[in-house]
Amino acid sequence: MSKKGIEGLKREYEEVRMSESQVNALKKTIERAKQDNRNKNRIRLWRMTGTAVAAALLVFIILPNTSANVAYAMAELPFIGNVVKVVTFRDYSYESEQQIAEIDVPKLDVSETDGEYGIATAEAPATLALKDTTDELNAEIEELTEQIIREFEEFVQKESGVKEVMISHETLVTPEPYFTLRLVHYEAAADGAEYVYYYTIDMSTGERVKLADLFNENADYIGIISAEIIRQMRERMATDEKVSYWLDEEMSDWNFKEITDETQFYINENNNIVISFNEGDVAPMYMGVVTFEIPAEILAEIRK
Amino acid sequence: MQSFSGKDKTNEAVVETVLLENYDRYYRLAYSYVKNEADAADIVQNGAYKAIRGSVSLRNAEYAGTWIYRIMLNEIFRFCKKKGPQVVSLDEIPVEQGKEDIYEDIDLKEALDSLNAEDKAVIQLRFFEDKPLNEIAEILGENLSTVKSRLYRGLRKLRIQLAVEEL
Repeated sequence: MSKKGIEGLKREYEEVRMSESQVNALKKTIERAKQDNRNKNRIRLWRMTGTAVAAALLVFIILPNTSANVAYAMAELPFIGNVVKVVTFRDYSYESEQQIAEIDVPKLDVSETDGEYGIATAEAPATLALKDTTDELNAEIEELTEQIIREFEEFVQKESGVKEVMISHETLVTPEPYFTLRLVHYEAAADGAEYVYYYTIDMSTGERVKLADLFNENADYIGIISAEIIRQMRERMATDEKVSYWLDEEMSDWNFKEITDETQFYINENNNIVISFNEGDVAPMYMGVVTFEIPAEILAEIRK
Repeated sequence: MQSFSGKDKTNEAVVETVLLENYDRYYRLAYSYVKNEADAADIVQNGAYKAIRGSVSLRNAEYAGTWIYRIMLNEIFRFCKKKGPQVVSLDEIPVEQGKEDIYEDIDLKEALDSLNAEDKAVIQLRFFEDKPLNEIAEILGENLSTVKSRLYRGLRKLRIQLAVEEL
């Protein structure tokens, strides 16, 4: 190989340049990544400041609900005499030319009925536990939503940009004895982002359902479910080029390794466990909220 | 908290600057593998997105340049694996009019393209981008002796293949 040959090749190599439109697209992508960085940071901030916020909330809670217009709506789920009603705790809306908030804060309400069963359930252990559980969940939901409202109000006061915040909720169709509330937080500024939270109660015991509660003691559900999620990620990435998860990235801190006991989940109508990750948790933000239904057979030996 | 977010901002800004100063370099490198403008631009965009998003985990901003090369190269390799080997028909190779030594360039170019992806990267980064071998080793995540053997093997193959053509 002559020196001249490689010099010529180098010159030819250097002639390749991005077009103006490609450069513009690149700059937009960089801006999007920066925006996603900020969204991610904000989420982390919420998680860390959670306890500090709770103290401030005590004052806050009493204000909106002294009026009697609590709207009884949404689903009712009867089970051994107990009913969890989802009522609107606070309806917050704000609208200006550029900024919109539609925030419907749900509250779980227990009403023990002796209705068709003819048994008083008010003092039953499951009822008492259920009341504790709903109190706990209500506090968590309030903490989360009040923080979002507060950030929105701060934004409105300080900045003039476009912002849209919505919080809605629904009761999922779940197999007995479960009750699951899904809370959806949608936020749009330059980019839209959606976050979903699940709250599940076992109505037969009145206890909140954690992932670990679904499995036999000492079962390696985290390992088994994580391996299945990784398998599904690879399968989806192999079949669709547009699909991408943080799995084999250079910045290994981001890579999905395993779920934790804090990972969001719910039980779907087929009695399968569905793992849900919020935007940016295990995939680029553009992938949105991603879910993985774990087939029953791979959990057959360890599921209660 | 404050100091952490401060660090993230700086890293993010450094990474952005490096990206904006060098995008043509990443693009060329990508193009030399995928031979397609749209795919090359996609690769650079994906790499840029990941670099900005991952800038938080970059411990030393000094290495941003090397680190971004590494991300880009991984994007390129991943793309190539997905697509399989590129087949370029003879009609697509631009044949320039004129001087004879142009033909030698085309032979050399074909020889370069016939190298495996890593060997080709070493040759290109060394001779087209004037990167020192130790930096190339960091970009590829390999040790120096591996990179050296890639370089020598690459050069040998280029020469051998040219010799065959000349027969």
